[in-house]
Amino acid sequence: MLLFQSILLGLLLGGLYALLASGLTLYFGIMRVVMIAHSAFLILAAYLAWWMHDRIGVDPLLSMVVTVPLFFAAGVGLQRLLLTRLRPATLTMMSVLLTFAIALTVEGLLGYAFTGTQRRVQLGYSSASFEIFGARIAVVKLIAFVLAVIALSGLYVLMKRTRFGWALRATIQHRDAARLLGIDTERVAGYGFGIGLATAAVGGTALSLDTTIYPSLHWHWIGPLMAIIVVGGLGSVPGAAAAAMVLGMAQSLLQIPMGTTWAQTVFYVALFATLAFRPQGFFGGRLAQRF
Amino acid sequence: MPNASKRILVGTAIALLAAAILVFPSLAPNPYILSSGVLVLNYAVLATSWNFVGGFTGYISLGHGALAGLGGYATGLLVVKAGLPSFAALAVAALLVAALAVPLGMAALRVRGASFVIVSIALVLILLLVFQSWASFTGGSRGLVVPRPFDLSRPEHHRVFYYLFAVLLAIAVLAWWLIDRSRFGLGLKSIREDEDKAEALGTPTFAYKLIVFVVSAGFTALAGGLYALWFGDLDPVFQFSILTGSYLVLMALLGGVRNLFGPVAGAILVGTALEYFKVEYGDTPLHLVATGVLLALVVLFMPDGVLPAIGDLLKRLDRTKKSSIREVTAAELAEQRKAAV
Repeated sequence: MLLFQSILLGLLLGGLYALLASGLTLYFGIMRVVMIAHSAFLILAAYLAWWMHDRIGVDPLLSMVVTVPLFFAAGVGLQRLLLTRLRPATLTMMSVLLTFAIALTVEGLLGYAFTGTQRRVQLGYSSASFEIFGARIAVVKLIAFVLAVIALSGLYVLMKRTRFGWALRATIQHRDAARLLGIDTERVAGYGFGIGLATAAVGGTALSLDTTIYPSLHWHWIGPLMAIIVVGGLGSVPGAAAAAMVLGMAQSLLQIPMGTTWAQTVFYVALFATLAFRPQGFFGGRLAQRF
Repeated sequence: MPNASKRILVGTAIALLAAAILVFPSLAPNPYILSSGVLVLNYAVLATSWNFVGGFTGYISLGHGALAGLGGYATGLLVVKAGLPSFAALAVAALLVAALAVPLGMAALRVRGASFVIVSIALVLILLLVFQSWASFTGGSRGLVVPRPFDLSRPEHHRVFYYLFAVLLAIAVLAWWLIDRSRFGLGLKSIREDEDKAEALGTPTFAYKLIVFVVSAGFTALAGGLYALWFGDLDPVFQFSILTGSYLVLMALLGGVRNLFGPVAGAILVGTALEYFKVEYGDTPLHLVATGVLLALVVLFMPDGVLPAIGDLLKRLDRTKKSSIREVTAAELAEQRKAAV
């Protein structure tokens, strides 16, 4: 029974990982940028959800009405105003430093605005749970998972079925060729960044439902997320989603014999093993070969 | 001609810097200032060690703070658990960390830049996790007390370690200078400018990157170990802090990664500022904001550092000293071509 519960929890956790990792994958695909600040924005969104609930009394889920457009705009601005200023020759390295700097700034500002105190959203349904075949699942965890699934499906439809999605994928695959076909790659890249950051807004809201948050929490997320995108193959969205599911499940299962702290090491072990034996990742295509 | 006068200028600058570093302990008004001086020198050694990888190959590591922490813990544990004499423990610790850098480098350097940075950050996070959780061996978050190597009063203790750090800094700078002039250094710099072309021309890029990473890790561990012997108390939260790594990057970039003394200059600037702000404002979250904003500004507007920026300014003021051969980076060349078209 404990095993079954762990599998279910791993599945729910994997969904959230998959959503967040898909954002990271988008940035990497578009500009070869490893976006360290992704999880800092995740925590920022969680704080905004908590703050709105605390001050205005709205449900954290409603905060997405504000945070998703806000983060989309922030993502477009980040790409158009900051990242394009970097020299192309050193873009990969310098963009890591730049997004790292942004992560530090966001963490510092969060600490300044809300202090380092641990915060948690208290809801009427916070402690509610239901049983399925003897496994006890918290309602908020299920809501978080459903949010992630909806966002991921939306992303999938957007990428595969709309003209903008085609333009975005063309930009990722071959920027020059896309430009020859008349795609405004600069604008598309900006919007792609906005969408990536919007996934952090959705993820942060989901996170705020059942997690205690504090400013430096984002370091606990960026490590696993980076491991996921490397294992999945840098730049591959399905790869990232599959790796997220597998690793989320592994973490959840390992918590039984090893405890929560040591179970986290599974991400780093997977990261090192992948880089040592299969550096292009397990689902990566042509893109991942050279990074 | 211009070279001779330039050489004299550089020589004078080095002599002045060395004199300033050596005289500082006798000028320091109190032991606290002296201990800040030790910290700044520690940063200077660390930033110079970082620059072996960052400056020569252009691979930016955010994990050197963890290598220093590992050196510190290895030294401390060898003294406490194995009963080695302090400085023997320091040497063994540096060798151990350098040996660990081999598999690490193999995983991190086989592919290009992005994975290297990811591994360097992951290293910090995993070591923090392990050293906090494995309390029975490392002391966990209660910390690890490292016995002092000399039986001295506090100011004397600071003074001795100040000079030890100065010696280590001199060795690190000398090693960097030697590599910079060598064929090996040329190969490393060709990796920085264009790894594909370097490889096509027969540079064993992977071996070169690995060797220089191991050398860098060794020096970093020496600095970390010396810090452990000096400070005497290790805490995982500070030893394996992602902030230490970012300070080092900030120092090296601010000073200029292509210059021998760039990281030292950056360490003196940033290290002094850090100490000053700690005294004036205490530990606030704004610390993080200041570091982040400064790092972003340097990356956006001065990626070559302060020293080259000043050099450019001087060159622009003095038009007589234009030589016919210039060093041009691949990026600058591309920009020039773009401008020409």
